[in-house]
This record gives sequence, structure tokens and C-alpha cells, in this order.
Amino acid sequence: MITILTILLALLAILGAPLFTVILAVAMLGFYVSGVDLSVIAIEIYRLADTPLLMALPLFTFAGYLMGQSQTSRRLVRLTRVFIGWMPGGLAIVALVACALFTAFTGASGITIVALGALLYPALIQDGYREKFSLGLVTTSGSLGLLFPPSLPLILYGVIVQQMSVGESFSIDDLFLAGLLPGLLMVVLLSLWSLWTHRALAVPAARFSAKEALAALREAAWEIPLPLFLLAGIYGGFLAISEAAAVTALYVLVVEVFVYKEVKISQLPAYMRDSMVMVGGILLILAVSLAFTNFLIDAQIPMKLFDLIQTHIGNKIAFLILLNVLLLLLGAILDIFSALVIMVPLILPVALSYGISPIHLGIIFLANMQIGYFTPPVGMNLFIASYRFEKPVADIYKATIPFMIVLLAAVMCITYWPDLSLALLQKD
Amino acid sequence: MSKNELRKGKTAYPNLIVTALYRLEDGILVALLTLMMGVAVAQILLRNFSGAGIIWGDVLVRVLVLWIGLVGAMVAARQNKHIKIDLVMRYLPKRLALPLKGIVHLFAAVVCALAAFYSFVFVLVEHADGGLAFGSVPVWICEAIMPLAFAVMALRYLMMSLIRFKTIFATNGSGVSSTRNNHPKR
Repeated sequence: MITILTILLALLAILGAPLFTVILAVAMLGFYVSGVDLSVIAIEIYRLADTPLLMALPLFTFAGYLMGQSQTSRRLVRLTRVFIGWMPGGLAIVALVACALFTAFTGASGITIVALGALLYPALIQDGYREKFSLGLVTTSGSLGLLFPPSLPLILYGVIVQQMSVGESFSIDDLFLAGLLPGLLMVVLLSLWSLWTHRALAVPAARFSAKEALAALREAAWEIPLPLFLLAGIYGGFLAISEAAAVTALYVLVVEVFVYKEVKISQLPAYMRDSMVMVGGILLILAVSLAFTNFLIDAQIPMKLFDLIQTHIGNKIAFLILLNVLLLLLGAILDIFSALVIMVPLILPVALSYGISPIHLGIIFLANMQIGYFTPPVGMNLFIASYRFEKPVADIYKATIPFMIVLLAAVMCITYWPDLSLALLQKD
Repeated sequence: MSKNELRKGKTAYPNLIVTALYRLEDGILVALLTLMMGVAVAQILLRNFSGAGIIWGDVLVRVLVLWIGLVGAMVAARQNKHIKIDLVMRYLPKRLALPLKGIVHLFAAVVCALAAFYSFVFVLVEHADGGLAFGSVPVWICEAIMPLAFAVMALRYLMMSLIRFKTIFATNGSGVSSTRNNHPKR
């Protein structure tokens, strides 16, 4: 009976039932079978109101959404072009850096491709980069930057782990620090590959102009301080992450509406609503997953899973390989937020017992998921790019293959070289 | 009379109410976010300049997270924007996809209805207990959004499901028309 119901639920999930209803159904079924009163569901969902950190989610999302709706992307490209564009292979690197920064703030919601890709793609073509390369570059870059603060998936990972209270405790600040080098590695490897693949092509490097640099700086004068004071606030200990989110949201609101005047006050309610619809979707999935996780732990499923895995997989390396394969497959069918809330509670206890640090696991998780953004069949960025650049999805997919291979190499480094993630955390 | 005219004539009056309700729902969501931003920033300023924030401010902000999440989820259900695995439907012919969507939405409606019922029971118990969340605001009011949001979502998925099935019967044999237009998107 239970087996049939489970298969039925899996079928419904694949057929596109809202994921929160599937997770909720599993949790309710589980509680029902073990004889727990189903009102426990409400207690679990109310835990959303017990997690101060979660406040960062709506606030950062709103700030990112506003930046996506204004001309921030144009200013960012201009700025990066001035300072990086003069290097050989400059524009490709400009694209990578600008996209990574933008995605960190806007949370890899596909807005990077829409807002930045639209600027960079024609510019790349104009500078003589091959069409296929340019297409692959802007599509891949849409999820680059997931590992940089204040990335929402990183925050969400931290929230989930804190809720589970297993393993060594860590703060979101630690997680942000841990993501820096792996994120940089991805940007550097992709830049090197861009350089190498266009070594024969005489791509004209723009000359550095002090005048243009000044103009670009002046134009973005209100936005440049944002990442700086965010980092200074968090690592200087002046602001908690949730406070930093509140300040960021208000600051971006004031700057885009009153200084740049690119967002009209009359548009604000619609933008607020649209960004909160996304937040609602994520928070609800998180809420029902808290119930689901509790059921898993009650039923000792992570323990059983661990026993099962341990009988087949003896060492850490083999486990990591399995983890990579699993996460890549998962990334191809699930979006990053659902994957986090469903899989982290299952994987974390097992990973801990193989001696993997929870911080390192978070970075591995997101690095793998980042590739999932553009792997078929459901990689979100493939469809957004296809829609935005009016190219068939299959073309986009083929264009991203070389980039995927480069990123896979980066993911291997990140997975099997823990110090890359943990080095910045080792305080003397 | 074409189907479109029929629909227009039939639903003009209810549409007015529906639009008003949508506006109200959007307005609440916007107000919640604005309030959260305001209180959070006020707390930081107060803490840094006068040494102490509002005592109930932190609790209020945390409750607002729950409310924003659930009201946002209500609107997401309305726009059919909840996170789902878009794997199979993309490749299925419409003739097959439509009834399956009807079933899937019916399932979502049942799950939401169950969640609404059990969280309602929970809120009743909390009401009887009479605890306070912050200031003189009782806990049950903060929790009341749960049954409300799930009930609204249950109704919405039920409607979506019914509309799919209605379309199937209305166009039986003569191909399938788009069901999108039946739903005011905003």
C-alpha cells in the first residue's frame, strides 16, 4: 500500500504537481503511518517564523529584482569593460566577471541572461567572437556567481543545516568565505578557456581610457559601494546577514527610484509582488521540507541510508564520486532550491560520517547544481537563453557543452580538494 | 456566439470582484514587505543610535517572514507559478496533457485542503491556550495565516482542475483549446 502510494506521488511529481504539495503529501503520509497527529504539519511550517536568518531571503530577492529591472546591468558592463576590456580576450572575461557579480546579487533566477546577456551577446559577436561561443558563454554565465555572497542558495543551505543541528556549527559568513576561492576558480578557468579557444583570432582589445573609466565610475557611483559596504558590514561585524539584507533592500530601493529614477514609484508594487511570488514559492517548499525532514529523522532514514551506502562504498573518495554523479543528475531535473531542501537533509548526515565538512559539502552541492542550470532536459537557463536569443534549445545546449566540460573540471577540483573551500576559514 | 463572447458575457460581473480580490491580495503582500523593510531598518538604527531596539520588533519581523511566504505562495498558486518539475508535460501532446494537468491540480487541491484543515485545528488549540506572540498580539493570530493560505490555495487548484476538465468536455472531439485565457493572470 505504502509502496503504491509512494510510486503514485513520484509520478505526480514528474507530471508537474507543485513540488510543495508532493513533499507535503509525503510528510503527511509518513506522520500518518507512524501515528503522529497531522497538526504537527502546522508546527513545522510555523518554524519559518523561528528563523531570523530567513528574513534575508525576501529582502535580498527584492533588491536583486529591482536591480534586474533597472539599468544596473548596463552600468556594470560598462564598468567591467573599462577595467578589464583592455586585456587580451577582454570582452569574454568582462562577460564572465560581470555575470558572476550580477548573479550573486540577483540569485541566479535567470535574470542575468535576460538583463546582461542581452547586452553582452551582441557585443561579443561584434568583437568577432564566434556565435556559438558567445551563446554558450552568456548561457553558462547565467548561473556563475552562485558561490559569491550574498547568494541566496548559499544562505538557504546554511538555514537548512542550522535547522538540522548536526555536525560542527558554522555561520553563513563562513559559508560566504568558503565560496570565494571555488567561485574564483570557476571564473578563472572559464576565462583561460575563452582565451585559449580564441588564441588564433585577433580579437581587438579595447584601449584603456582614463576618461571613460572616470565616466563609468561616476555613472555607477551609487552602486559600487553596495558590495563593499555589504562585505565590510558583514565581516566587520557591524551587521548580521539579515540586517545587511534589510539595509541593501532599502538602499537599492532609494537609489533606483530616487537617484537613477529608472524605477517608477507606480511600478514598485508590481515589482514587490512579482519578487515575493518567487519568495513564496521558495519559502513554502522550505516550510514543508522542514516537516519532511523531521519525518525522515524520526524514521531514521538518514541512518538507514548511511548503512546502505556504507556496505557498498568504503571510502570517502568513492562517496564523493557517487555524490557528484547524483547531484549532477539531480541538477538536471530539479531547480536548485527544491534540490537543496530535499537532498541536504538526506545527504548531510551521511557526508558527515565520511568526514566531510558541512561547509565543504555546501560548496560541492552548489557547484554541482550550478551546472544543472544548463543541462537538459530541464536546465532553466537553456530555456531562458533560447527564448531571449531566439535560438532552438538544442543549439543552446550544444553551445554550452565546452563550458560544461570546463566547469566539470572546476567541480572536480572543488570536490576533491577541500582546502580550496576551507583555506580562508583556517584562522591562525 | 463564440466561446470568447460567451465567457465575457458570463463572467463580467464576477470578474470585477475577482480583480478587486486580486488587488487586495497584492496590496497585502506589498504592505507586508514594506513593513518588514521598515521595521528591520528601524531596528538597526535604534540599536546603533539609542542602544536598544523595539522589544517586539524582532518577533514581528520573523512573523512577517511567515506571512510574506504564505501570501506570496497564495499569489504563486493564482499565477500557477509554484516550483514544479517541468519534465514530462513539455513533451506531451495537449490531448494527453490536459486531463493529466486536471488530475495533478486536483491532487494539489486535496493536499492543500488537508493542510488547511490540520493547521486550522492547530490554530484552534493555540487559541484556547491563549499565548502571546509579542506585545498584546496573541500567537494564534500570527498562525492564522496558515489555514487561510492553504484554504485559498486549495480553492485555486480546485478551480484550475475543474477548468481543465470543463475544457476537455466542452471541446471533446473537436481538439483542445487553450485553457490559459480562462485564468486572469494578474
